[in-house]
Amino acid sequence: MSATSAHLARPAFDRTLLLVLPATAFMFLLFVYPFLYGLALSFDPKEGGWLGNYKHFFTTDNQWPTIWTTLKLALPATLINVGFALPIAYKMRVKSRYQRWITTILVVPITLGTVLIAEGMLTYFGPKGWLSQFLQFAHLYDGPIRLTHNYWGVLISLVISGFPFAFLLILSYITGIDPVLARAASTLGANPKAQFRHIYLPLLAPGLAMCFCLAFVQAYSVFPSAVLLGSPAGPTRVISIAAYEAAFEQYDYSLASAIAMIMGFVQLIIVAAVLSLRNAFYRGPVSGGKG
Amino acid sequence: MKHDFSELKLDRVTRRFAGAGGKAFNALDELSLIVQRGEFICLLGPSGCGKSTALNCIAGLMQLSGGSIWLDDTRIDTLPPEKRGFGMVFQNYALFPHMTVARNIDFGLRMRGNSATEIAPRVARALKLVQLTGQEHKLPGQLSGGQQQRVAIARAIVIEPPLILMDEPLSNLDAKLRIETRAEIRRIHHELGRATIYVTHDQDEALSLADRIVVMKDGKVQQIAPPPEVYAQPANLHVARFMGYRNVLALDVQREDGDHIVLNGPDISLTGVRKQPLRNGKAAVAIRPEEIVMGEGPGGANTISARVRNIEYCGRDSLLDVVTASGTVLHVRAAGAAALGDSVRVHVPVDRVLVYPGE
Repeated sequence: MSATSAHLARPAFDRTLLLVLPATAFMFLLFVYPFLYGLALSFDPKEGGWLGNYKHFFTTDNQWPTIWTTLKLALPATLINVGFALPIAYKMRVKSRYQRWITTILVVPITLGTVLIAEGMLTYFGPKGWLSQFLQFAHLYDGPIRLTHNYWGVLISLVISGFPFAFLLILSYITGIDPVLARAASTLGANPKAQFRHIYLPLLAPGLAMCFCLAFVQAYSVFPSAVLLGSPAGPTRVISIAAYEAAFEQYDYSLASAIAMIMGFVQLIIVAAVLSLRNAFYRGPVSGGKG
Repeated sequence: MKHDFSELKLDRVTRRFAGAGGKAFNALDELSLIVQRGEFICLLGPSGCGKSTALNCIAGLMQLSGGSIWLDDTRIDTLPPEKRGFGMVFQNYALFPHMTVARNIDFGLRMRGNSATEIAPRVARALKLVQLTGQEHKLPGQLSGGQQQRVAIARAIVIEPPLILMDEPLSNLDAKLRIETRAEIRRIHHELGRATIYVTHDQDEALSLADRIVVMKDGKVQQIAPPPEVYAQPANLHVARFMGYRNVLALDVQREDGDHIVLNGPDISLTGVRKQPLRNGKAAVAIRPEEIVMGEGPGGANTISARVRNIEYCGRDSLLDVVTASGTVLHVRAAGAAALGDSVRVHVPVDRVLVYPGE
């Protein structure tokens, strides 16, 4: 190779690569290091062998069931959020006068935060709240209404706080699909139902899987609403409460780290399962040719 | 859904849109047209002239604001697109990216509930027609632009629609492929023997493909005629300009002698043929660059003296800009040798000077 062609070839080191350094340092210091520290800590229990914490968690009656308690909240909440967000986002894909208003109203809860939502729900859904007073006043339902301090309170709060997230994510996926595809399908004889089934749904599937994963991870790590709106000693004793108690009531950071690792592992299993399903679908550009 | 027909009738089809400031405007204004079975119709016009609006109205992708559309005795403008059963080829092809070529093509047949044994031979036939046999298991993303284009055509024709609608299907192809595919489209049209409505802004495409051309501007039809007539006898100045009459001169009418008009300018005197009624003594004449002949006319008639100002070499001939003493510029296509600054005399046959009312 002559000197000139070597000069024209790509330089051995591209200095713009240095731009990734700050982000890498950030990731390492604030995510990788604490994670590895927690992982190591979880294998260094106060008593017992190196698996002592994990043994303790899976043999203690108020510890291991929290996995299922949390799943029983997080899975339905995620299914409801994604399941309702999909048809609404599908309706909202066409620009209209109402679209902006409805989108705004649906998204407002995302600005509130879980604690504020919990406060509002206690006032509204509580035994002496507006809802029950109204129902009794109108003689629609006279029995006691129990929607707070139990399973349902936490589920409702997960839906309220998680729905806008799922909705916005799916809306952005849907509006990324070229509407000409549905029009082409209609000229080929596909009615609106068939257009959704054969065009939108298959193209959305990977996005829906992604949305499901993110919504699930968010719901599985529920904490404030489980304490404020649920019954943290009973049916809504979720896994993050178990970790909190270990860390800040028993001051056993090692056990708390182990519980956090278990929680991450359960999330990972669900995410891996959903993402492997995603591979069964087409993934690629969602436009129908040259733009 | 019908599979054969004898004519498609557009009766004063109108489409209004809300424009700026809430003022509605007619994107398509009372388009009336009868398309016979077997005809190839081109809707031709600049962008924004309403040609795509017209196509979308026929396909059912846009609702009419007025008028009606009839397929023989059936009124179809009230039907949704999936009930009309017209094949449509979109400008960006609109292939389904998650389906293979074969699945794209059989989509229309599957939607009609045809059985697998019926579908396979028809898909094979359509693939053969567009010369894509062997590509059926590829995804659209793995095909070239020209191949995608042909899949889009196959997908539209496999349902054997009475009418095929094409919205600038060649505009994304390069020049060579465009000319090849143009011939393909014409061949496929003849093989199917149904009707095609084709939207384009390219007059060469329209001239080479169409049995009849519908020239449009600002939502209004300007002329409906076979290509030779649109080419040689534009109905008005808009059509003339669009069909390549690059020389448009504003002149005064000196004398009218039947259809022959004698016109005067500062240093130009021309006799031409009237194409539209004139008013108030002002006229605009339209002349094609290729119909101006170098040299003096018979007996010095219709001759203009000018100087060569610019030369563009085009291979077979050159495009000259010549300018008269008073500064009028004429575009002339000439094969002979000329040099910058030469004084030349050019003339135009009387029947190729088209006279329209002045603007």
